[in-house]
Amino acid sequence: MNTSIPAISIQGLTKDFAVTLRGVKLRAVDDLSLQVEEGQVFGLLGPNGSGKSTTIKIILGLLEATVGEVKVFGVPSHQVESRRNVGYLPEAPYFYRYLSGYELVRFYARVCGVPKAQLKARVDDVIDWVGLSQAANRRVGTYSKGMLQRIGLAQALVHDPKLIVLDEPTAGVDPVGSAEMCELILKLKRQGKTVLITSHLLAQIEDVCDRVAILDHGKLMVEGSLLELVGQRDRQALIVDPLPASDIEALREWLASRGHVLNAIEQPRARLDQLFLSKISRAGHLGGNPGVGSNVVPKSSVPKSSSSAPSFTPKA
Amino acid sequence: MSAVSVPFSFNRLALIASNTFLEAVRQRLFNFLLLLAIGLVASAQFFRDFNFGSSELKFIADFGFGALIFFGSALTITATAQLFFSEIENRTALTLLAKPIWRAEFVFGKFLGVFSVIGVFCALTIGLMMALLWHREGQLMAANPEAFEAGRIMRYGDLFMVGVLQWLKFGVLSAIVLLIASFSNTNLYTVVTGFFALVICHLQYLARDSWGNVDSLILRSVVRLLSFVFPNFQLFNLSDEIGQGAGLDPMLAGRVALYAVVYIAVIGGLAVYSFRNREI
Repeated sequence: MNTSIPAISIQGLTKDFAVTLRGVKLRAVDDLSLQVEEGQVFGLLGPNGSGKSTTIKIILGLLEATVGEVKVFGVPSHQVESRRNVGYLPEAPYFYRYLSGYELVRFYARVCGVPKAQLKARVDDVIDWVGLSQAANRRVGTYSKGMLQRIGLAQALVHDPKLIVLDEPTAGVDPVGSAEMCELILKLKRQGKTVLITSHLLAQIEDVCDRVAILDHGKLMVEGSLLELVGQRDRQALIVDPLPASDIEALREWLASRGHVLNAIEQPRARLDQLFLSKISRAGHLGGNPGVGSNVVPKSSVPKSSSSAPSFTPKA
Repeated sequence: MSAVSVPFSFNRLALIASNTFLEAVRQRLFNFLLLLAIGLVASAQFFRDFNFGSSELKFIADFGFGALIFFGSALTITATAQLFFSEIENRTALTLLAKPIWRAEFVFGKFLGVFSVIGVFCALTIGLMMALLWHREGQLMAANPEAFEAGRIMRYGDLFMVGVLQWLKFGVLSAIVLLIASFSNTNLYTVVTGFFALVICHLQYLARDSWGNVDSLILRSVVRLLSFVFPNFQLFNLSDEIGQGAGLDPMLAGRVALYAVVYIAVIGGLAVYSFRNREI
């Protein structure tokens, strides 16, 4: 593996859209330069209209850059070859409603050129991997949003791509589905996949991303690792059992005697989504027993453990 | 990094075509038009009460081809526009075109899918019409044996050939609608413009016939150019030449078929070129 070639390389990307017949243009992306290294989970953040989806579409060859260059594993993104190693889950995915989940994934597998000898095993594996084995023979038109996201992820992964692009993968999905999507993203990361993800749910991005970039009005505002961007290197938090006021005062004096300052005393809080997930019983990862067709990953179909999570690549 | 090239694949094209076909046959419009056409063709059965003799057979054939042309044209325009825009509006095109796939495969896959649907429509309609004619001709032969001394007078092979030519004409129409859809933003615009194109293609021979009477060289040139841009659908109306008499000239049928294939290839190529630059 040549690690010197980034998974995605964006240099001076600008994209203008003509918005009137007189030639007035809207600049969706403005001189953007980014690099996503292989094996990273990279979050592309920004408010609506910031240019995230446009950037993704250019990476996927669905749009042409006005100025600049985008390469995927060293291949210009406008070339069909660049998409050989890319899987894409669009925002709010709609699929062919008249196909069953199995037929849909099989269709995309064949489009991607999965060899016939491996086709069935690959499709079965990837459907199992996203936890939809029990609903694989149902028509996609009957799927819930969470299940659509899962089958969308399955079609994105079926040809075993090295780069997976997820556009708002948790949009419109309930907290259980969102948490499960995050689990799947982390499993992809453990398998060495590169993941480019956009999301409005910043807490989730924080949970899964190595690096993030924030766009606004098409411009790159900031880019870096989460530790660099939101970590406070000059601060530390100690979490202890509840202390009486006298002990806190003594601690403050003891710290002062050593030249330190006690800046804040706070009650630690669990996150609301964690509370939600702990209180409901249907979450597969919480030990629930989902029924047939549930959008929850059955325990039996989730990879055995995070450390031994198998690739969706069919067994030889 | 040298990428492994992705060659144009007829397998992928066939996959998209079969998926388009599957989607089309599950649309109610297809079933509705098919039932209407079959109903209309079958209604010719009622004309047996009039007992026109051998000319009745020609009448039934014309009636059947009328139903085929009318409903086939409607099906071609609406199905092509609908099947193309369903991919765009439902965003399935996003997922599909994000795969290692050429846009030419997408466009020609869509075309072949629609063309197959129209082929099924034509086959069923023509098949039913021929069955009705065969049945009615048998009845007339029994009732008026002297009029059929030389055996059956209907040329069923010619009927089949004209059906194939109509199918090819619908293929040209489908390619035109795809070309419009490749740059159009809405399904409605595509359908309306497709019907305009259908009318122009049926009437363009009038313009072609009249260019000799125009004095202006510029106008003559424009009319001539337009007569090449829009295919002449009157060339496909060969049903007058069948049924009785000498029958269909195979050379003429072959030339008309070639004419259709050339137009499909050229217009399809233009649709691909236009769609290549389309922002999804």
